[in-house]
Amino acid sequence: MTRLPSQSPPRRPAVRANTGVSRPAAAGGARSGRSSSGRPASVPASGKRSGSPRAAQTVQSAQRAPGKRTSAVRRIRKKLQLFSVRSGMDLPLFFLVLVLLTIGLVMLFSASYAYAYYNQNGDSYWFISRQALFAVLGVVVMVLMSYFDYHHFHKLAIPILLVTYGILVLMLVAKGTALVPNINETYRWFYIGPINFQPSEIAKFTLILIFAHLISLNFNKMQTFRYGILPYVLILGSIAGLVVAEKHISATVIILALGAIMLFVGGVRLRWFGVALGGLGAAVLYLLFCTDVFKYAMNRVYGWLDPFNPPTGVDTWQTRQSLMSIGSGGLLGLGLGQSRQKYLYLPEPQNDFIFAIVCEELGFIGALIIIILFAMLVWRGVTVSMKAKDKFGMLLGVGLSLQIGLQVVLNIAVVTNTIPNTGISLPFFSYGGTSLVILMAEMGIVLSISRNSSIEKS
Amino acid sequence: MAKGTTVRMWRRTTTILFVLILGGFGIVIASLFRLQIVQGEELEARAVNQQTQDTVLNAQRGTIYDCNMTVLAKSASVWKVIANPNYIKTDEEKEQIAAGLAQILDLDEQEVLEKLQKKTYYVKIAGEVETDAKDEILKFKEENDLSYAITLEEDYKRYYPEGESAAVVLGFTNAEHQGVTGVEGSYNDYLSGTAGKLVTARNARGSDMPFQYEQKVEAQNGCSLVLTIDENIQRILENAVEDAAAACGARNRACGIVMDVNTGAILGMTVSEDFDPNEPYVITNKETAAAIEKLEGEEKSEALREAQEQQWRNKCISDTYNPGSVFKMLTSCMGIEEGVITENTSFTCTGHYQVADRSIGCWRTAGHGTENFQEGLSNSCNPVFMQVAERLGADTFFRYFEGFGMTQKTGIDLIGESTSIYYNAEGLGPTQLATSSFGQSFRVTPIQMITAAAAVANGGYLVQPHVVSQIIDDEGNIVKTIDTNVKRQVVSEDTSQRVSAMLQYTATVGTAKNGYVAGYRVAGKTGTSEKIDEWNAQGRKGEKRYIASYCGYAPADDPEIVMLVFFDEPLSQEGQVFGSAIAGPVFAEVMSQALPYLGVEPQYTEEELSKLDAKTPSVTGDTVKTAKEKIMAQSLSSKVYGDGDTVISQIPAAGDTIPKGGTVMLFTDESSEEELVEVPNLIGLNLSQANTAASNAGLNISISGAALTGTNAVSDTQSIAEGEKVPPGTVVQVNFVELDTVH
Repeated sequence: MTRLPSQSPPRRPAVRANTGVSRPAAAGGARSGRSSSGRPASVPASGKRSGSPRAAQTVQSAQRAPGKRTSAVRRIRKKLQLFSVRSGMDLPLFFLVLVLLTIGLVMLFSASYAYAYYNQNGDSYWFISRQALFAVLGVVVMVLMSYFDYHHFHKLAIPILLVTYGILVLMLVAKGTALVPNINETYRWFYIGPINFQPSEIAKFTLILIFAHLISLNFNKMQTFRYGILPYVLILGSIAGLVVAEKHISATVIILALGAIMLFVGGVRLRWFGVALGGLGAAVLYLLFCTDVFKYAMNRVYGWLDPFNPPTGVDTWQTRQSLMSIGSGGLLGLGLGQSRQKYLYLPEPQNDFIFAIVCEELGFIGALIIIILFAMLVWRGVTVSMKAKDKFGMLLGVGLSLQIGLQVVLNIAVVTNTIPNTGISLPFFSYGGTSLVILMAEMGIVLSISRNSSIEKS
Repeated sequence: MAKGTTVRMWRRTTTILFVLILGGFGIVIASLFRLQIVQGEELEARAVNQQTQDTVLNAQRGTIYDCNMTVLAKSASVWKVIANPNYIKTDEEKEQIAAGLAQILDLDEQEVLEKLQKKTYYVKIAGEVETDAKDEILKFKEENDLSYAITLEEDYKRYYPEGESAAVVLGFTNAEHQGVTGVEGSYNDYLSGTAGKLVTARNARGSDMPFQYEQKVEAQNGCSLVLTIDENIQRILENAVEDAAAACGARNRACGIVMDVNTGAILGMTVSEDFDPNEPYVITNKETAAAIEKLEGEEKSEALREAQEQQWRNKCISDTYNPGSVFKMLTSCMGIEEGVITENTSFTCTGHYQVADRSIGCWRTAGHGTENFQEGLSNSCNPVFMQVAERLGADTFFRYFEGFGMTQKTGIDLIGESTSIYYNAEGLGPTQLATSSFGQSFRVTPIQMITAAAAVANGGYLVQPHVVSQIIDDEGNIVKTIDTNVKRQVVSEDTSQRVSAMLQYTATVGTAKNGYVAGYRVAGKTGTSEKIDEWNAQGRKGEKRYIASYCGYAPADDPEIVMLVFFDEPLSQEGQVFGSAIAGPVFAEVMSQALPYLGVEPQYTEEELSKLDAKTPSVTGDTVKTAKEKIMAQSLSSKVYGDGDTVISQIPAAGDTIPKGGTVMLFTDESSEEELVEVPNLIGLNLSQANTAASNAGLNISISGAALTGTNAVSDTQSIAEGEKVPPGTVVQVNFVELDTVH
């Protein structure tokens, strides 16, 4: 690998030449041209790199007809600047995603098969077969997104915000119907046809996108209230309010945290954070002294502090089982597939509490390795983004990378009972096709940013 | 301003990155370290606890044998039928199961159904189900595919094949299979063995997990016990004591012990109105049971508990009593050993004896006049013994009292031995010393008394009584042998022999002759102790209550077994509550059967031979003339029925024994065999009167008790009631008691 950096500079002109010169040739020509120029620089991933664009071209029906068709495709490409970014993507980031996704799939299979066996009529492969399908789709989407020039999102930011508002309002309107069913007194899931997903996942992305969009546009006016505070507070408040209405506290917390991070990075004066913290404190004091919300919450707090002796009426079963699973793992774990807690003791081991099974089977060492991989992913995502050529890319990439870090920390904190139990899934591990595809698309955007980044791509 | 990242953005982003990675990831890593490394074992233990199911594998309780390896107690497999109502889905299924189980187990279908309707995983339908019924349930399960709904758990049930026999020695086990009393209790640790366990992994719904996890610790079956108890002697003792206790109306129960004088091995031990170990909670005494039935609520359960504890109580070791005159055998030993008296030391009894400021009477208020010591013992004369004790002094008396084990538990291997109550050397003032000499003013347990009597018999050695001789493990290896434990020699062999000779005299011609057994050289002593503490407690008014006891051993010149029998608060019978009248015959009855059983050869004196029973010769098939000659030769007479020439049958049968001079009935034709004769009254007669009356009626008698030695023996029971029709020649057992020997 030490030789690779020295090889990359000549590669860029070649790629640009490819874009400008050989593009008029037929799709087949483009393919061969890409192959000959791309391969030497990316030996380890040649299959993916040459394969995925082919698939993309198929989607774009580029191969179907030469001649006039070809020129139409070219026009679209030019218009969308699709594949116009010919720089290589960041391979460490790409492989970190693939490694985590692979480990995630293996662990999902292990964690889910007993649960699936008992709950899906003996079909132990129920979860893994679906998740694997979405994972393949996710990889395709990620690679495609990496070729999609993220600058288009400047134009898409407002429409996406409006669509998100539309969905979130629809969630409120359709609350309790078949579209938004009541699941344990919450309304987080949206069902359309065979697809179901949590709109809060989209809301997180939308928030990062719109903040990156607005901050990069008004960067010089971030010190003012009108351009630096007001729009963000309005957007953040409205989105958070709509998610709260779904009774999805964990997502609200993540959205608020992401908003704060974006504004912080975007250069908002620190005093405003002081004001926000003051407001938060005042709200807490109000709830504490003027309402009895906390009286109800206190029992949950006691259950959190001592899950093995909870107050009556507080169900800490899941937390207890999670702690027992983690403890059973010890230093080296029971071995892959050897979890005992997955035999119906730990409820829904394929979802939010999958990391408890990871700890039980792979032990402290295994869990530590996975956490370090996540940390590396976040680190790489943030550093790649910081080298982006523009502030929009930087803010978007940093937001998306930190979102993963935030989710991972909060998920493991819940699983280890470091914070009270709340529903946060573990990226790349937890079961959920739609959210996995969204996640992979987001990673694709970060990779797309990396193509434009001035970082050393090893 | 730069197009890309500004310095401030870079700085702020880096800050957040560090906070997230060092703070966020650091905290969760620390949490994992705490949970997996620090608390790992504790949490894993919790997890394993819920993931595994322990099934107890019961150990089979050891068997209890008597000394001839007759089984006295054994455990057999029974089954608990358990239903898992939560696994039964439909009501139809519940009804089907209820009907099936009710039919097999003979239960009420409705009750079973009610149990099945409970919301639980475990409900016991029936316990102690025997193997036959278990097999039927298994078949029922299989045929209807109900393996998920019904489970069978193995359990053990204790059986006591000999019923009430030796109940106080055996004890019983409670519902948890733990021994409560007797050897079941004292040897519980040996008998119960060690339960094993089977640990299997379970998922949260209670079914087996697919992964392999099974750990089995085999149960270690309990050891078996070989008792020193001889079931035959036990039976003899038990029947005799139980019958006599019923006859004399012992209000506070009776007890009897037979012990090997040399080893301390208990051959038989019984308490009247004890329990059936198969059903220890059932009240044996019918009157008590009926009285309890009439009570209600708390009062009833209290009374029931009291009655149960009463019948479980082993009077032989748990109750203390004043041994009374039986104790005189020990005082005699002290006197001879210390040389303060000889057999021929002369005493004078005026009917009472002055001790300090009190005059203490003899049982015979008229007094015995001048007598030597042997006669004094034979007469059970209190003044003689008061003087012996006086000559010994309190210190010496107490030294022997201690030496004979009167102050310590014997250490018998049974639960519930009581400690004795006594005056120590300082407490023995002149009055206490005087009354102690004839067994009053202190209380000991019967087992202490018989152990001391054994020392008198065996050459002066105090042995430790015991009921278990061997402990054998599951494979038949001997785990432990209980050897004779001689604690000390209390008196010399010479003293022992001299006192035995005097006691033989007492049992032959003296006050103890109701215990006499012809040919077996019995040494014995009666005791009639006033229940003086109780008498004082009731203000020395009303009825005085007594304990009638007899303690003796045989053969006197080379003792083998010693026996103590006592009746607590017998009803007075025509003024008699005395040990000789009530306890003596029981002693004689047991000894006369036990000694031959143990293979002790009888040695008859001339006098005994003359009165002895004769064996009926076999004359069936002989001519009448030959038969008569043969019968004459045995000092018997004959009587012919029918007109035939040949004897076609005879009563008594050949080999039966009847007293000399008895009559053998000879039947010479068929019709003569059908004749019956009426049994006359044979009670209240002396030996020759009884013989005549029986002979006149065409019957024979067999005698027991004091008939042979007594000068004034009178029959008190007959085995076939007056007025019954029996074939001629039938042997009626008649018991004799000596009327004038009342102490």
